[in-house]
Amino acid sequence: MKQAVYGLLLYLFLLLPPVADLLESIMIVHMHMQMPLLVAAGFLMGRFLQNKFPLFFEKWNHNGVPGIVLFVIIWSYWMIPRAMDEALTFQTVEWFKFFSLPFLAGVSLRDSWKKLTNAGKNSVLIYAAAMLLFMAFLYIGADEQICNNYLEIEQQTLGWGSLAIGVCIVIYLLQLLFIDQSEFR
Amino acid sequence: MAHALKEVFYEKPKQALGAHPEDARVSLSYLSIAFIALFIGGVLGLLQGLERAGLMQLPPWLNYYQVLTAHGILLVIVFTTTFTIGYQFANLSHSLGGLLPKVRKLAWTGLVLMVIGVALVTTTIVMGDASVLYTFYPPLAASPFFYIGLVFLVLGIWACCFGVFINYRHWRKNHPGEPAPLLAFFAMGVFTLWFFASLGVTVEVLTLIPWTLGWKETVNVLVARTLFWSFGHTLVNIWYLVATSAWYAIVPKIIGGKHFNEKLIRLVVILLVVLNIPGGFHHQIIDPGISLSIKFLHVFMSLSIAVPSLMTAFAMFHVFERTGRQKGGRGLLGWLKKLPWGDVRFLAPMIAMISFIPGGAGGIINGSNQLNQVIHNTMWVVGHFHITVGVSVVLTFFGICYWLVPYLSKRTLTKKMNKVGVIQTIIWTVGMAIMAGSMHIAGLLGDPRRTSYTTYKDHPDALSWIPYEYIFAAGATLLLVGVIIQVYAVFHMMFLSPKGVTEFPAAEPVADAAPAPLWTERWGLWVVLLLMVVAMAYVVPIVDMIVHAPPGSPPIRTW
Repeated sequence: MKQAVYGLLLYLFLLLPPVADLLESIMIVHMHMQMPLLVAAGFLMGRFLQNKFPLFFEKWNHNGVPGIVLFVIIWSYWMIPRAMDEALTFQTVEWFKFFSLPFLAGVSLRDSWKKLTNAGKNSVLIYAAAMLLFMAFLYIGADEQICNNYLEIEQQTLGWGSLAIGVCIVIYLLQLLFIDQSEFR
Repeated sequence: MAHALKEVFYEKPKQALGAHPEDARVSLSYLSIAFIALFIGGVLGLLQGLERAGLMQLPPWLNYYQVLTAHGILLVIVFTTTFTIGYQFANLSHSLGGLLPKVRKLAWTGLVLMVIGVALVTTTIVMGDASVLYTFYPPLAASPFFYIGLVFLVLGIWACCFGVFINYRHWRKNHPGEPAPLLAFFAMGVFTLWFFASLGVTVEVLTLIPWTLGWKETVNVLVARTLFWSFGHTLVNIWYLVATSAWYAIVPKIIGGKHFNEKLIRLVVILLVVLNIPGGFHHQIIDPGISLSIKFLHVFMSLSIAVPSLMTAFAMFHVFERTGRQKGGRGLLGWLKKLPWGDVRFLAPMIAMISFIPGGAGGIINGSNQLNQVIHNTMWVVGHFHITVGVSVVLTFFGICYWLVPYLSKRTLTKKMNKVGVIQTIIWTVGMAIMAGSMHIAGLLGDPRRTSYTTYKDHPDALSWIPYEYIFAAGATLLLVGVIIQVYAVFHMMFLSPKGVTEFPAAEPVADAAPAPLWTERWGLWVVLLLMVVAMAYVVPIVDMIVHAPPGSPPIRTW
């Protein structure tokens, strides 16, 4: 339960207007730091919800697939340049971001990850790597501003950052493939 | 039963026969080069101290900046690198039951490559073609052979890295379900960090070679400096990790105790490997062209290293107190008296650990934006790294010599040699305390670093530095005495001490300790995390530096 409290504290910290403003002022930090931290806050708070509503999770997410699909949809939605732009322009979209990433993506990731088979986990990682590499291609390659709120240099930086994280996930997958994981259990 | 068999077939012969002769030759060769480099670098250090204080004038064919560059490269790069490899390969050989023949070959290949590299580097410095200081970043440009020498040095390190990875993997494959021995785990951490730290500087050097050859007109100075410091600061932490391996896994045995909880020790190694590389940015706090928000972010990244450091400090003092109390120490501090202060194998690393307290505090000052503005280009910084490297790291290395060299050469540490070691440690500590102490004070008064003797036309401020500079010179003299004693001790223990058996003092866990968790062996994951932390730290500033690059700088030779 301690971690649920830490998750709540992290969430409240991220909600503070100066913190949100600072993180959203840099494009790459907005996408690759604020958003993952919101997911992490939800991931930690998920423990409380799992204890409170065990039957709900058992009924709707007993093999982890519905939850991970929800996570993937929410995460992918927030990778769309326009979604990020709208979060900065419309207050309601900003609220949706602060609700969807922790409570729809973070909580479902928490409940689903351990329930997934290895094939399921690997599919999610392959999807994430492919998505990040595609975003790298898009954000580095675009020769015009694709977000009203950010400069071209910021979107290129985001592209390189996505490439780096995508490559890291690929390396992680390769080592899963080549190293016998039962060695570590 | 299995334990008893292991004892009979594996531990007993190891105790009786000592180090594998061929592995010992590898380590002793590296250690010999290390201490020859220490001797030459030490002599150059004294010359530099005397010139800096205005007590002597170096001849034009061997000026202050040549000596400064050679002192830095020989001690900061050659001594520490060769010592680390010699020591870590001995640890690996002991804890994994010998090096594989191909790994031994890789170690010899590494040695040859490094010797070629050092020969090229020192020749260019002596010829006056490479007075670029040991940081060697542009716009100062050395002869291309200087950088080619550095490439050989890096290739030598990589050969050793691959040797360690191969040996470690081989052992793990043949011991399913067993975590690797603690010292081998440390070696893996050291060489993983070394490999990834050297990638940035390799890119830098490979861009400088065509630039100095005239094939490329300009170079992006800020990117080169950033790549250098991604390596430069990590190198500092590689030494620190090497020293910690002795603190955690050797010192407890020397004081007659057991090592700390292995899970925590392994966590410290993993944290040091994962968090280290971004620390380099605090060396660039006054660099223009890096935004304030990035520098702010990097204060956190640099200070994150304080977490494993403090874990180490508390863990080590717990081990000392536990052992002291077991030996009958009473009261609040009575246990301190029970520690073997007369044993150089304990005294030297203990002083090293204690010096890490002021050294670490100085590091926090250097890493803080506002305080760094005051001290950045002053002698304070020189004082700082003489405490951290010169005491915390080097005294640990010296302490290691007094069991490692006799163990490898199948000789013994005599009482007399132990006394020599204790005297050496005291001379070194006093010399470094007065030299680094006065450097810190002179730095606060504005005395610049990387500058030959000058009084700025007898400006009163500059004249106020002179007394402190005399103290640098006095300290440097004591330190050279320390170097001579240490080099004598090492070669004496290598060739002249009485033959005999010296134990490899690897500490053991307490009786009811849980086995080390296997998840700590997930090196693939630690490397991915390391790369992610590097990406977090470097993508934003490097893209900014490249996209907003100024025209770049041609090679500049100021001498």
